[in-house]
Amino acid sequence: MNALFAAFRKDLLLQWRGRTQMVAIFAFGAAALLLFSFAIGPDSSALREHAAGFLWLGLLLASTLSLAESFECEMEEQALEGLLLLPASTRALYYGKAIANWAQLALLGMALVPVMVVLYDAGTLRLFSLLVVILLGTAGLSAPGTLYAAMTSQTRARQTLLPLLLFPLVVPVLLAAVKATSLVILGDPMEQYRPWITLLGAFAVIHWSIGGLLFGRVVED
Amino acid sequence: MRASSARHIAFVAFGVALLLAGSWWGLAKAPGEVFMGDVQRIMYVHVPTAWNAMLALTFAFVCALCFLFTNAWKWDNRLEAGMEMGVVLSLLLCMQGSIWAKPTWGVWWDWDPRLTTTAVMVFAFGGILALRAFVDDPVKRAVWSSVACIVAFVDVPIVYFSVKWWNSLHQAQSTPQTVSSAFHLPLRINAFGILFLWVGLVGLRARVAALRRRGEMAPPLTQKQSATGRAPITGGAV
Amino acid sequence: MSGVIEGGWEFVIAAYTVSALLLGGYATSVFLRFKKEKARAPDEVSG
Repeated sequence: MNALFAAFRKDLLLQWRGRTQMVAIFAFGAAALLLFSFAIGPDSSALREHAAGFLWLGLLLASTLSLAESFECEMEEQALEGLLLLPASTRALYYGKAIANWAQLALLGMALVPVMVVLYDAGTLRLFSLLVVILLGTAGLSAPGTLYAAMTSQTRARQTLLPLLLFPLVVPVLLAAVKATSLVILGDPMEQYRPWITLLGAFAVIHWSIGGLLFGRVVED
Repeated sequence: MRASSARHIAFVAFGVALLLAGSWWGLAKAPGEVFMGDVQRIMYVHVPTAWNAMLALTFAFVCALCFLFTNAWKWDNRLEAGMEMGVVLSLLLCMQGSIWAKPTWGVWWDWDPRLTTTAVMVFAFGGILALRAFVDDPVKRAVWSSVACIVAFVDVPIVYFSVKWWNSLHQAQSTPQTVSSAFHLPLRINAFGILFLWVGLVGLRARVAALRRRGEMAPPLTQKQSATGRAPITGGAV
Repeated sequence: MSGVIEGGWEFVIAAYTVSALLLGGYATSVFLRFKKEKARAPDEVSG
């Protein structure tokens, strides 16, 4: 537990030190949201209807940058080997990094919400419900994303491989998060929000479990 | 070891024979279905492909688990072969499904949960094959693709349920992909046909993987071998 | 689903042709690769 906390603190510190990059990733996400609106055209009702989809697509694209970056520093000066020599289990290392990535993605998601509200006229008062979707959705992205980022950061063509591996895997997250967000923005007369949230939660639980089990093999020498 | 490759080739040949027989039966002998007409005959090759695609990917999953537990190279060979075969069968399934959908639903893709999940699987497992191509270290390649295969396979039911649910909110369609008992014979023959075909091909493909790795991990040329003029690998003078 | 679908043989033929081509093409590719690897290292023992 101490090791986990230490790992988490280390990754959080690294993120804080690299916060200019975080701003750049946010700018990328916002730019993506802008481009989506150009693809649809100035049709306010269509934009509003699909706002949830654009938000999560933008977040997904930005997440590949943020996840890849989380392992960049481990590749320099053989830092990864150094970490593995410490008396901390690989499980603690994984969860520390995954939680830090989760925090970063959730923050990114929340930062993109105002962009969505402005560009697509997609505001909502149900902020708590929206927050829950963002937290659970980004949790679902973070667990497999951290696992795959650990692998792909050690390969050539790393920038292509991470999205290639991650995107098919997180299709359920995309479906459920977009649906749930859409219900929050457009209204939920038939109370369908809760089942989608449950799906997001189940996905997160499953992938956080197997990620922890498999990470050790991924980084071993 | 020639015996084992002969067996694999025999499996492939037997599978092809069964497929020819089953397809002939389904196309020429079996009567047309009441509502679907002759288009129903696509099912005689589509349903067997579906069963075998799932079987091949399950086989790959088992090989991945076996490799992580035993670290024996043979499981990595089979994993590579199984995933490649699974991707081919899944791709075929999507193409057949599309050809089925056009006369049936009027569109080339109807977001059927099973087919949509299969399309996601093509990308998921195809991505793992791409990963293998970019990892030079054979050990890392084997471990990582095993891990990725396990994660992808575990994800399949989740993808299926989420797509099924997502689709059900839009269309209350029932896909008539059940086949009544009068038509079971060509279905079964073709199912076994594809089964023997892919088992034989996986056997051969696993051998290819084994031979390739042996070439990859071969020791550097000796002094004698490099007397042909190539620079010696050991830095000393020739 | 009610109603009868008339004809449609071209779709049936397309489906079977695609299946034959894809499976046949893949099988050929495996055979060719197998021959190539065996030619490269004919005296190897299988692992």
